[in-house]
Amino acid sequence: MSQGGIDGERRRFIAFALTPSLIVLFAVAVLPAIYLVVTSLTPFQLTTPGSATDFSAPLRNYGLLPGDPRFVNSLLVQAKLSFWGVLFQVLLGMLLALLLNVQSRFVEFARTFFLIPMVLPPIVVAVIWKLIYTPDISPLNYSAQLLNFTMPALTSSVDFALTAIIIADTWEWLPFTFLMVLAALQTIPEEYSEAALVDGANKLQIFWYVTLPFITPILVISGMFRLIDSVKAFPLIFLLTGGGPGTVTEVTNYYAYLLAFDTNEIGYSSAVTVVMLLLVAGVSLGLVWMGRRREAMA
Amino acid sequence: MSEHSGRRTTPGRLVAIVVTLLILLSPFLWLLQMSFKSNDQILQFPPPPIFTPTLENYISLWHSAFSASFVNSLLSASLSTALALLFGVPAAYALSRWAGRGKHGLSFAILVTRMAPPIAFTIPFFLFYRWIGLLDTITGLVLVYTSFNLPLVIWMMQPFFDTVPISLEEAALVDGARTRTVFTKIVLPMVTPGIAATAILCFLYAWNDFFFALILTRTNARTAPVAVVNFMNYEGWEWGKIAAGGSLVMAPVLIFSLAVRRYLVSGLTAGAVKG
Repeated sequence: MSQGGIDGERRRFIAFALTPSLIVLFAVAVLPAIYLVVTSLTPFQLTTPGSATDFSAPLRNYGLLPGDPRFVNSLLVQAKLSFWGVLFQVLLGMLLALLLNVQSRFVEFARTFFLIPMVLPPIVVAVIWKLIYTPDISPLNYSAQLLNFTMPALTSSVDFALTAIIIADTWEWLPFTFLMVLAALQTIPEEYSEAALVDGANKLQIFWYVTLPFITPILVISGMFRLIDSVKAFPLIFLLTGGGPGTVTEVTNYYAYLLAFDTNEIGYSSAVTVVMLLLVAGVSLGLVWMGRRREAMA
Repeated sequence: MSEHSGRRTTPGRLVAIVVTLLILLSPFLWLLQMSFKSNDQILQFPPPPIFTPTLENYISLWHSAFSASFVNSLLSASLSTALALLFGVPAAYALSRWAGRGKHGLSFAILVTRMAPPIAFTIPFFLFYRWIGLLDTITGLVLVYTSFNLPLVIWMMQPFFDTVPISLEEAALVDGARTRTVFTKIVLPMVTPGIAATAILCFLYAWNDFFFALILTRTNARTAPVAVVNFMNYEGWEWGKIAAGGSLVMAPVLIFSLAVRRYLVSGLTAGAVKG
């Protein structure tokens, strides 16, 4: 039958269209992952010949991890950075979305400009905050001097360095949560809040009983997306603090970078990276699971 | 009319929106104004509210090694975008039309490759490039950028193909056209806006990269984002030039973002929100 011929020809085309991409994805995503895991089982150092294929003590790197204070500290720093960053991004993003959830041509036009921090190259964001945090030229220090108040050096102080990173990270990614929450707000049927209004509810009650339950799922989901991506805050840390002072802002990602490309401990760095990957994968799976549940509920 | 009663724009709210926008963008504007100041003006206290803008920072950048790094960025970002589209667009079409069981798993796998922290790919790429001599080459950068743009293309193009009615293709197939012809002559022209938007986003992702370029390049293939950081290390604290460099690096991003405003949302949230 000709129908079968068409189907066969279509199937061949689909295979033809899909195969190159699958091969490329395999080559650039699966192979490196395997290579990473293999390297993590060796004491590989670029300067030590033969160390790349030394599998005599395959789990040695992983055994060292729990006793490595810098590694344990880096997880804590990452947890702090992620927790506060995500919290502020979700809260402020929600407030911003509530503020901009109006129908007006001007506001719709203005929305694009609220996205600027997120679309900027991350290294430019880091440069921007470098200019703000560098005492000689900082607008913060100018204002502080006018008020006769001495500004602490933010990025080199043990107490403020991580906060400085969190502020910059929040500024950069606030637009993301804002976008997601705004999209959710715009799907709330107008009748809900009108009915509540008729029943005599005030604005705060409408927010608490109508709006908030509606946007809670998207708050959680956008928070988790940010949580996964918060591991990638590399340029900010690289340019603003370099992980310091000491190891105050040294997140796991940065520690792995220093290990591999500064101290040449490629095998050990790979082990650190594998652990980090597993943690990220865990959060990602949780996200998918929640997405499924949400689809099932809808 | 009562339909928008809860969402009417009051003057008070408009003022609040404008003020919030100004506060939010002030760090960005601070960089911009600094790029037009001489170093003396930058260090002046208090900062002069009105100053004569100068282009000297931009001019001296143009005559330095920075212009070469700008070209490197342009080359690696556009070549990788072209490659990612070449592979990714047909794959997205296939996934959109394929009702097979592996489809969801595949889409998920594609998303996961985007979520992994870059360091996970950097170590293997670095070792491999070092071995075959691709360190500090544009080719090396193009390969890496293609690898993370390909999933983006597949992810972004699928919904565009979903909107093309299958009946249209079936009619042509019944008339005896081959699927390849249907794809190139009927389907592709209908998704041109999607391809344009996807291309711009790919370009931006590659353009914005700092981490891979930092590790995989030295001097020959150094990209603009890395060059900006190099000012800080090697040219002392020339704030005006640093600000001008930063402004130049973000200029294409801002222009393109405005051009694809409508698609920006789905591209930036890459699957986080549906539709």
